[in-house]
Parts: sequence; C-alpha cells; structure tokens
Amino acid sequence: MTVIEEFHPDYLTLHLDGRFDAHETPQVRQSLATHTPKNVHINLEKVTFLDSAALATLVQAMKNCRERGGDVVLCNMPQPVRIIFELTRLDKAFKIINTVHDATQH
Amino acid sequence: MAYTNYQHWKTTPLGDTIVPHLSVIIPAYNEAERIVPSIGAIASYICDLGFDWELIIADDGSKDNTVALVEELGLANARVLRAAKNGGKGSAVKRGMLAARGRYRLFADADNSTPIEEVSKLLAKVDGSQAPRYDIAIGSRAAEGAQESNKSLLRRIFSGGLRMMVKYVLGINVRDTQCGFKLYTAEAAQRLHHAQTMMGFSFDLEVLYLAAKYGYTIAEVPVSWIDAPGSKVNPTKEAKRFIKDMAAIKRNDWRGAYAS
Ligand SMILES: Nc1nc2c(ncn2[C@@H]2O[C@H](COP(=O)(O)OP(=O)(O)OP(=O)(O)O)[C@@H](O)[C@H]2O)c(=O)[nH]1
Ligand SMILES: [Mg+2]
Repeated sequence: MTVIEEFHPDYLTLHLDGRFDAHETPQVRQSLATHTPKNVHINLEKVTFLDSAALATLVQAMKNCRERGGDVVLCNMPQPVRIIFELTRLDKAFKIINTVHDATQH
Repeated sequence: MAYTNYQHWKTTPLGDTIVPHLSVIIPAYNEAERIVPSIGAIASYICDLGFDWELIIADDGSKDNTVALVEELGLANARVLRAAKNGGKGSAVKRGMLAARGRYRLFADADNSTPIEEVSKLLAKVDGSQAPRYDIAIGSRAAEGAQESNKSLLRRIFSGGLRMMVKYVLGINVRDTQCGFKLYTAEAAQRLHHAQTMMGFSFDLEVLYLAAKYGYTIAEVPVSWIDAPGSKVNPTKEAKRFIKDMAAIKRNDWRGAYAS
C-alpha cells in the first residue's frame, strides 16, 4: 500500500492506495506519530481491503485525534471498505463523508 | 446498483429451490479477530458478480466467539456450521464442501490471504467460459505469474524436501498443493470430500491425490497471496504430520480405501 501525505492548514490528508493490512499499519501509524495532527482525513478511495489490524489502527488514530480536540474523517469509501465498516459496526463510530455509491448516508 | 446487490443478498434468503452458482466456504478456527473483514470483502466482490451464491462458515470448534460473531452479522445467505470440537482444517473444509449446495464450491482461508478477486480467474477455468474446461481450479503461489508477499509458514515447510516427496512419492503434479483457495465443481467436491479421510492440513494432498486417481482435471492458476500474521500452525509438528500422512495416503490406496 502507498501512503501519500497532503498537508492542509488545519488538517492532514492521507491518501491510501492498495491493501491496508497488518503489514501496512506501521507506515500509517508512523505518519500520524510524526505529524501528530489534530484533524486527519483518510482517503480510502483506492483501498481494496482492510483487515482487523488496519481497523484497529484507524480506531487508535480517532482516539488520539479526539484527545487533541480534533477527529478522523474517512472519505470516499469504496464498496468493499464500506461493507467492512458496516459489518464491524465501525461505521457508527467514525465520521464518514462522500461515501461512494451512496445517497442516504448521514 | 452494486450496493443494492449486496443488500439484497444480505436480507433475502435464496430459498431451497434455487441452486446457488457458487458456494464460498471459510474454514474457521478461532478467527474472531480476522474473519469479519474477510467476509465483508468476499460479500462485496461476489455480490457484484451478479449470480446467486451462499457463504458457509465451517467452524472448527473455535474457543473464541467466532460462531456468535458471524451469526450476529445476520446475513441471510450465510450459514455457520458449528463443530463441537477442533478437528483440523481438513475436517472443516470437508463439512463445508459436503453441506454446500452450489454448482461451484470455493474454499478460502479466513484471512483473505488470496484476495477474493482472484476467484474470477478460477471460475473461468471450470464454468465453461474458457476452453478447456476443468473440474478443479486451484490457486497457486508457485505457478508462473503468481505474486507472493510474506511467505507463509506452510509454504516454507513445503519449499524443500517435502515438495519433492509430494511429487515423487504421491505423484501429485501440482506445484503448490497447500494454497487455501481452491474451487471445485459440485460433482468433484462431493466425490472427493466424501472420500477424504485426512482431517489436518494434509487433506489438500489427499484430495489432490484422489482427484488425479478419479480422473478429474486440475488447473493451477497463479494467484496473489499476502500472508496475514496470526497463523496458528506449528511448523515442526505439521512437517512430521505431512510425512506420516503421505505414507498413509499410499497405504490407504493399496488397501483399496479409495476405490471408486
Ligand atoms: N491452524 C488451524 N487452522 C484451521 C483449523 N481448522 C480450520 N482452520 C482454518 O484454516 C485456515 C488456514 O489457517 P492458518 O492458521 O491461516 O494456516 P495457514 O494459512 O495454512 O498457515 P500460515 O501460512 O502459517 O498462515 C484458516 O481459515 C483457519 O481458520 C485448525 O485446526 N488449525
Ligand atoms: Mg494463513
């Protein structure tokens, strides 16, 4: 998986591309530990699969950001990613925007 | 459009009169941590293919909450086959394959090590859309064009002498016998898994041995494989077991245990 960091005045965007699994979580964790952003947007548009280690990494990132008074926002979820979030019920925990294939999402 | 396929599959049971085009069987032993994302990926991809299909979770006496976790997902076309005690991967695959109703039957490891997208390559080998038509298509990490990241334990066990034995002792002409991603026609699945006697990881060897004996054709299809951490395999124990089981397969055959 590739991770591209994009810096904005008040948030950091991570563009992820590929399979987000236990082999890839260190680079995401490291990026977040280096920049300690208050707000993070994670662009999942090109993510093909997330495993439980990836989900745990995102949950931890959300906790860290919320402690800093910010949040993690998940963007552009493709269908498999969306279904994985629904089945694990993590869709209820995260702020999700621009979900692909969807008009009804909050 | 695509998401509505999934929603329909999730909420509307196929019913007994419809023969699913595909059954996906996931053998599962203590997979509470890994299995739900894999189910999500599988459901998303297969629903998009647009045919009727069923998902079978063949529990293998899990001591964690794998069974409850999967049942709580409330998927209308998923079934959990619960086992009272741990019988080995072979026992789980056997129960799943024999309970399945699909025209084609895939088993796939719970960790999505072979991404589910690869099933399309396997299906093309057995469903008549590509000539020649095979009875069995098996994922292979050794075939030309395969991509493998993070070699799995069982693969490493098999890279040396054991693989030579498979070839020269059992006469199995397949380069990667152990890939947890194999597709059979209903007929082959019924016959082979009915005859299967090995319940551990060596069931793959036995089933491939029987496939050759019964005259089924096998396509070895290069697939990508990303091994997930969290394997519960003890390599030394399994290597010994493989050697013992290879001898047992020969013995069974001499004794006529596999006679058709
Ligand atoms: N280890 C193990 N797996 C089982 C058993 N019964 C069913 N399984 C399932 O068989 C599949 C393969 O298990 P893994 O532990 O990943 O074994 P593997 O991938 O062959 O070996 P590794 O390459 O070491 O990961 C998984 O879906 C397991 O849940 C069992 O008794 N032991
Ligand atoms: Mg594995």
